[in-house]
Amino acid sequence: MSQTSNRSDTEKGDGYFLRAEGISKIYSDGTVALRDATVELRPGEIVGLLGENGAGKTTLTKILSGLLPPTRGRVVSPRGQVKFASPREALDFGIGMVHQHFALVGTFTAVENVALSHERPFVPLTLSATRERLEGLMAESGLKVPLDVPVEKLAVGEQQRVEILKVLSQNVNLLILDEPTSVLTPLEVDELFKLLRRLRDEGKAIVLITHKLKEVGSITDRVIVLRKGAVVGDVQMAEVTKEELAQLMVGKEIGTRAAQAVELSTDAIPVPISRHKEEAKRGSGVLHVENLSVAGDTKSKAVDGLTFDVFGGEIFGIAGVEGNGQTELVEALTGLRPAMEGTATIHEKNILGLDPRQIYKLGVAHIPEDRWVLGLVLPFTLAENAILGVHRWEEFRGPLSILRWGKINAHVRALMERFEIQATGPSAPAKSLSGGNQQKLIVGRELAKDPAIVIASQPTRGLDVGAAQYIRDTLVEMRDRGRAILLVSADLDEVLALSDRVAIMYEGKFMAVARPEELDRQKVGMLMGGVGVKG
Amino acid sequence: MTTTDVRPRGRWVRGVHRTLTGLHPALESVLAAVVGLLVGAVLMYIWGYDPWRAYWALLRGAFGGDYEIASSIARGVPLIFTALTFSICLRAGMFNIGAEGQMYIGAAAAVCVAYFQLPAGLHLFVGILFAAVAGAVWSLGPALLKLTRGVSEVISTIMFNWISRFLVFYLVAFVLVDPRQAQRTVRIPVSARFPILVQGTDLSYAVFMAVAFALLVYVVLWHTAVGYEVRAAGLTPTAARYGGISIKRTMLLSFALGGVAAGLAGAATTMGLPPTFAIISGLPELMNLGFDGMAVAMVGRNHPIGILFAALFFGGLNAGGRVMQFYGSNPVPLEMVRVVMGAIVLAMAIPELIRLFPALAEAGRGLARTIARRKPATEEGA
Ligand SMILES: Nc1ncnc2c1ncn2[C@@H]1O[C@H](COP(=O)(O)OP(=O)(O)OP(=O)(O)O)[C@@H](O)[C@H]1O
Ligand SMILES: [Mg+2]
Repeated sequence: MSQTSNRSDTEKGDGYFLRAEGISKIYSDGTVALRDATVELRPGEIVGLLGENGAGKTTLTKILSGLLPPTRGRVVSPRGQVKFASPREALDFGIGMVHQHFALVGTFTAVENVALSHERPFVPLTLSATRERLEGLMAESGLKVPLDVPVEKLAVGEQQRVEILKVLSQNVNLLILDEPTSVLTPLEVDELFKLLRRLRDEGKAIVLITHKLKEVGSITDRVIVLRKGAVVGDVQMAEVTKEELAQLMVGKEIGTRAAQAVELSTDAIPVPISRHKEEAKRGSGVLHVENLSVAGDTKSKAVDGLTFDVFGGEIFGIAGVEGNGQTELVEALTGLRPAMEGTATIHEKNILGLDPRQIYKLGVAHIPEDRWVLGLVLPFTLAENAILGVHRWEEFRGPLSILRWGKINAHVRALMERFEIQATGPSAPAKSLSGGNQQKLIVGRELAKDPAIVIASQPTRGLDVGAAQYIRDTLVEMRDRGRAILLVSADLDEVLALSDRVAIMYEGKFMAVARPEELDRQKVGMLMGGVGVKG
Repeated sequence: MTTTDVRPRGRWVRGVHRTLTGLHPALESVLAAVVGLLVGAVLMYIWGYDPWRAYWALLRGAFGGDYEIASSIARGVPLIFTALTFSICLRAGMFNIGAEGQMYIGAAAAVCVAYFQLPAGLHLFVGILFAAVAGAVWSLGPALLKLTRGVSEVISTIMFNWISRFLVFYLVAFVLVDPRQAQRTVRIPVSARFPILVQGTDLSYAVFMAVAFALLVYVVLWHTAVGYEVRAAGLTPTAARYGGISIKRTMLLSFALGGVAAGLAGAATTMGLPPTFAIISGLPELMNLGFDGMAVAMVGRNHPIGILFAALFFGGLNAGGRVMQFYGSNPVPLEMVRVVMGAIVLAMAIPELIRLFPALAEAGRGLARTIARRKPATEEGA
């Protein structure tokens, strides 16, 4: 490369790998996602990219990786301006990205997906070499995935692992990870971080987007904070205190709720949130499951003879590594998947064999783990999505089943206000929302039903600190009002903090059911790995 | 909270930007039409015709006067229906190629009203009902095959087209045949005919039925719970199922409604098509209207309102094409018009072409930026 770069405005010389200068992005609907943002990425550094939902993090990384053109501004490397017409060109330049919403071919297996990402015109695909490389990577990174199953059949957490492995298999110099940890268990996160640290020490530049303060503290060297599209902070980790970091993450107008959340989650105590939770007043049984077995897409028995109850006024948490039957269990209970044997009742009415509509009528709300496949019709507008599943409610329908868009829009505006969903309005397409705001829309829609039981899979996936805390508070508040909550989450802290009883699931069975106080993280970790613990 | 606080000038620019983006689909259709016409022009030039004079003749023949406009609209009427058949099912996530056959059956059913007598308005109404029900019933074949046996609707609708084609051939030749005029069926009695709208042309009151039906489809799809379910199932079946929507039901409903539309196309081309008001053996008045409807649906962006405009455009091509082939010293065969239609459909289907549009916009913006900056000093390297 030419060393004759005589730029006078470059203070750091060629110490950087890539720099985005004065980037602004205005989407076609007029949303200003980025305002004059300048960031510099250096080799051998892990940068945390922080900011509230909708701050522009994904947009910025998409511009860096050639997926989106900026409206204004430019991306430069020490060799001059770079312009990527496609992710392929960015990849050739050494930039790889783990997407918040995975970029995988559903009908392809993990091996095929990874091979595809290496595909070059006129070069034959080598599946066997890819498989070897993948197996090596799986051992190295601790991220295990089934290699020969179409990825659409995998749980979201497993797909996340495939997406990460895909990018790791590329030899990139800049690795961008957009919320890679939101559906991983703490152990998996630890392993991933070990690998990332090693890559950093090898001189790679790494950008990590996360909403978890703990992760930021443990792995990043520098953090860049975005707020409403502008860079409002760019500081070395060594130079900030935890409190300052918390300020930066939540913004200066810290509401009490968010402030508490940050304060609490920085604590070393693994059970932070239950502090302001009252003792459960367990009511009558709502969900009763007996000897339930469910076939999976890949396993003959993904759920293997489970028996449990969820009572009103209680949060029943299911912890475990994604892909151990949680998905199938939830699908069976919500009418999306047939059960093999056993019974399941809500308020003593059988729910197996019913379709989702009939189950919702019994007072069930379902927050699905996969927001793009189940939770949303992406091309639909916010308003259309806000009535999915409740579109036949009397209040939304007039004579002749005509939809009352006026009422629906009012309902949506109320949701947008209550759950702080950022969008241009009820007629914005759902796909134009940021990941966190899509999640808020789904959670808001389901919780607004005020159901007898909430079946929630990864309810706070991708939510920023404040929003996640609001959702948790809402779940606790619903519990206090006597509702039953079945919470499935890979976020161990969340399960332990919120639940009144926790079940640890491994290969379709509960390894243990206990009160969170009786469990410590180490014990839970072992149980999640299938190692029985006595006593 | 939201990211909308920007300087007023920026807001104005964004307003224009948004309007253009909103028009994007329509502009794409127009672009495709232009490309189609250009391809036609090139071919005419190669074959030694004068494209300018041919298109001039086409334009005059299509929209040159009241008579021409009326015939263009008349030719668009059945296309509105058959395009709706395709679009309704596409919105529900299925490729229904069966409009052609369902239309034949609808037409045959409409002719049956010749065998009984009723008061004027009622007779017409019963005929419409016959055609609609017949079209819907015929569409249930492929629908049920799909729902019960998983047979691809593409295959089954094509098969059903052939079945209905020869069935109607048979009916026209042996059952519904006019004993005095063996080349056609019995004529629809006056009491069951659509009144002529513009005397001396093909344009009858059937056009009102077409427009009303298109508006009805619009209301059903975008303003009722059922339509909501159909569109959700068509866009993301998994999410629709999660939302408590029965995909089987939406499939059946959209197929049936599509069948009604195709049946009405049959009614319009018999009860509403002077001067014969009958099916002529060999079905010359009907042939291909179902397939052309798919082209109309594409150009109309599968939206009922868009389809109204697209049908008028294709009707104009058909009407004008007839004039073009008789045009003085430069007679261009009617086939040329079909080439143009084909090229338009191809142009719609080529995504690169459609991406040309944003690319052009981007290029224009870039140009404007460079002009505004007036040659910035070279920034890179040195
Ligand atoms: N395709 C799009 N069209 C219009 N607006 C969009 C589009 N994609 C994103 N936006 C808007 O741009 C803003 C920034 O979105 P972005 O996805 O970058 O946020 P984010 O910081 O990644 O948030 P999250 O933490 O929720 O993932 C949001 O207001 C969002 O609504
Ligand atoms: Mg994002």
